[in-house]
Amino acid sequence: MLLAYRCALASPRITAAAVEASEFPKLAEEMEVWAVPRIVVNGVPQWDGAVPERVFVERLRAATFG
Amino acid sequence: MAIFRPEEEAKVRELLDALERPVELVVALGPEEMPLHGARDIDFGAETVRVVEELCTLSASLSSRVEQEPAAVERFPAVLVRPEGEEVGVRYDGLPWGYELGSLVGAVLEAGRREPSLRAESLEALAGLDRDLAIDVFVTPT
Repeated sequence: MLLAYRCALASPRITAAAVEASEFPKLAEEMEVWAVPRIVVNGVPQWDGAVPERVFVERLRAATFG
Repeated sequence: MAIFRPEEEAKVRELLDALERPVELVVALGPEEMPLHGARDIDFGAETVRVVEELCTLSASLSSRVEQEPAAVERFPAVLVRPEGEEVGVRYDGLPWGYELGSLVGAVLEAGRREPSLRAESLEALAGLDRDLAIDVFVTPT
């Protein structure tokens, strides 16, 4: 979670939200959240699990949007 | 009930002492999604206000206020983390409790830094972004 926040603080193009899955069950179902953390970018699920900073940033840059 | 055990509270207070600039927490309240069965007795909005207000008692650099349905917020309750009161797109959607209270504290600590804490290579890579990215990280409190 912290990496997402760090990216948002570092770039005006990025926003980051932690989403408490059990409080938003409809959205969590739409995003097919079976494991956490699940990372979703621009409304499209991307990957599950914590990764190192370098990988996180690479994946953000490569994020696909459906 | 206190949000931290005494030993945790002392640690969080110490961490918050490192804030290099004031951080404002805005609790956004509005219509909430129907929670899971068994959780319906919890007033998530009121609990979020309580957690945030209690967190703010641990540092003079932290302040909070409540807003009803602020613009650009779609899920409620939410906590907007604003360094020096500036909206920078750092948010916690839901009631930050249990393990995830640490995520909110982490957001506050990051927002309290004057310089980004990412590595130079990462900053360079992000500077080259040609589109806006909204990252949602789904988490659970346990």
